[in-house]
Amino acid sequence: MSAASAETASLSPWQKATLWFFKYAFLFAFVAMIIFFSLQSEAFLGASNVMNIARGSVVVLLIALALTMVISSGGIDLSVGVALDFGAWFVIIGMASWGLPWPLAVVAGLVGGSLIGALNALLVVVLGVTPFLATLGTFFIGRSIQQIGTGGGANVNYRQAPEGFQAIAQGATLEIPNILLVGAIVLVVFFIVMELSTHGRRIHAMGLQNSAARVAGIDTRKYRAWVFILSGTTAAIGGILLSSGLRIYTPMAGFAYLLDGIAAVFIGASLHRGGRPNVIGTVIGVLFLSTLGTGLDIIGIDFNLKAALKGIILVLAITIAVLVSNRLPQVERWFAQQKKPLLQ
Amino acid sequence: MLFGLLLVLLAVGAPALLSATSVAAVLVQASPIAIVAFGLSVVVIGGGDDVVIGGIDLSIPAGAALSTAIISDQLTNRGASFPEAFGLGLLAALAVGAVNAVLVTVVGLTPILTTLATYASVVGIVRVLTTNRRINVEDPTVLWIRDTNIFGVPVPVLIMLVTFAIFGWVVHRTRYGMKLRTVGGNLDAAVSVGLKPRIFVASTFVWASLAAGIAGVLLVARGSGMSPGIDERLLVDMVLATFVGAAFSSKNIVTVSGAMLGAILVSFMATGLILNRVDNSWVDGWKGVLILLVVTAAALQTRRSRQ
Repeated sequence: MSAASAETASLSPWQKATLWFFKYAFLFAFVAMIIFFSLQSEAFLGASNVMNIARGSVVVLLIALALTMVISSGGIDLSVGVALDFGAWFVIIGMASWGLPWPLAVVAGLVGGSLIGALNALLVVVLGVTPFLATLGTFFIGRSIQQIGTGGGANVNYRQAPEGFQAIAQGATLEIPNILLVGAIVLVVFFIVMELSTHGRRIHAMGLQNSAARVAGIDTRKYRAWVFILSGTTAAIGGILLSSGLRIYTPMAGFAYLLDGIAAVFIGASLHRGGRPNVIGTVIGVLFLSTLGTGLDIIGIDFNLKAALKGIILVLAITIAVLVSNRLPQVERWFAQQKKPLLQ
Repeated sequence: MLFGLLLVLLAVGAPALLSATSVAAVLVQASPIAIVAFGLSVVVIGGGDDVVIGGIDLSIPAGAALSTAIISDQLTNRGASFPEAFGLGLLAALAVGAVNAVLVTVVGLTPILTTLATYASVVGIVRVLTTNRRINVEDPTVLWIRDTNIFGVPVPVLIMLVTFAIFGWVVHRTRYGMKLRTVGGNLDAAVSVGLKPRIFVASTFVWASLAAGIAGVLLVARGSGMSPGIDERLLVDMVLATFVGAAFSSKNIVTVSGAMLGAILVSFMATGLILNRVDNSWVDGWKGVLILLVVTAAALQTRRSRQ
């Protein structure tokens, strides 16, 4: 790696550009997709549509960030959707049934999601169940609790929600929509914790080799418990945003975000040189998926065909990107050979 | 042990559960789940159980739905004979497996991302093929599979047992299976004894899609055709059967026979809860509690035996 970067210092600009292209092939595939959609429809790059894509990405982003953390730690959380539901549910009934002021109801929503995470932590850390099965069990139980609590799955409306609560998802501060601010704040926190702090290193160490991490003195049980609890909390923020935007709680709506969240994390991981989940990669994955979804909607494609195309385009884009960036070392070597006669 | 206890619990609530007719009904219901779970087991055994890079194939239910859709469409709308329709359905399922194998072993994508994407694509293709409508099938062979008992055993259960024998034999009794388990269990060890992991991992996806193709026939028979949305239920049941099944193996790892027990348990639970007159809203909850009881007991058992 260091040898290669020493070589790149003396490359011509076009060679540097080529290397750059190979390194960020996925981004170019992404840009190509955006250009394609904007040629198909003038509205695609319009300010209101770009804003829609950004706003629509926030909830998926929160789910995907929670999953990035859990998957980095070597686990999986199939119950993030249920944690999202609990956040959305508790905040609505906190105001509508318990008569809490909205800031306290928000806290209740966060606690609701964290409870789901705490149940996972108990199962995984204390009882030693594998994360996959523990969170699958939590998923079933959480679904059932919602069905029982809502009399079979009926929506809970709260049309007269306080202005302050509605402003969380619908208002704006300094002309920036609040929902984007919430997403940005959570994103920055995750970036600092996962990519810059020792906590993030320790979580990755656990995921790479748990026994080695323990020998190195990391309290893996404590970290694993917190990873699951905070995953639930983060998902609950997404639920609160949904409730604030719609003023309705729809039971079991969270499941829809699970598959996109997992896909975003693994798109991000496949862009990483070591193949690890990472925060920036996850953001790119989320943006790619929501741009693709909106793009297919806007060019007016058949609903059934859309599902097929979304999967196929995803496979194609990642395949091209991974195939191209796997060639990066070869291109570097080739440039280095080209240069040798000049140096002599 | 655990398995028996759970059966007793459900049977005490509803004695009818252990009558011959409902045991047969449960086993018929379990057969497509078991077959796709055999496929997933092979992928997990050969790919290892790491969360990020380990073997998983979420596209099997989509492959089964594709095979179901093609068989139904061929029989009802195109006047094909049963062997032709089955052959086409199986080929389509195998094509999905081949795509997975290439993407994972040649391109180098992680199995979970690959099969998540192929799942979405194939489900979409199925929707386009069927225009998201039901297709009825009245082909005599399909009805024969659905309604016939041979020596008192329903044909779908026989198909499940034959598939079980093949998969179980290949994975647990052949040289290929031993190498496959080495590749999945310890990649470095496998490479250092000269195995080529890619070929083995690629082959697991083909096995999985073979299972998907066979399951398609049973799904056509069970539903007398193709109904939209069969893939979702199958996905949850398959994952559940395979990983809960691990709790029944002595080392708490995924095995083909564990997958069969898991599938039978999953459909026993579904039927048992209905016979116990559990309110619909509570069914998922009880399912979750029962799963957690089984896997927690298994986890504690493994921990105790290690100490």
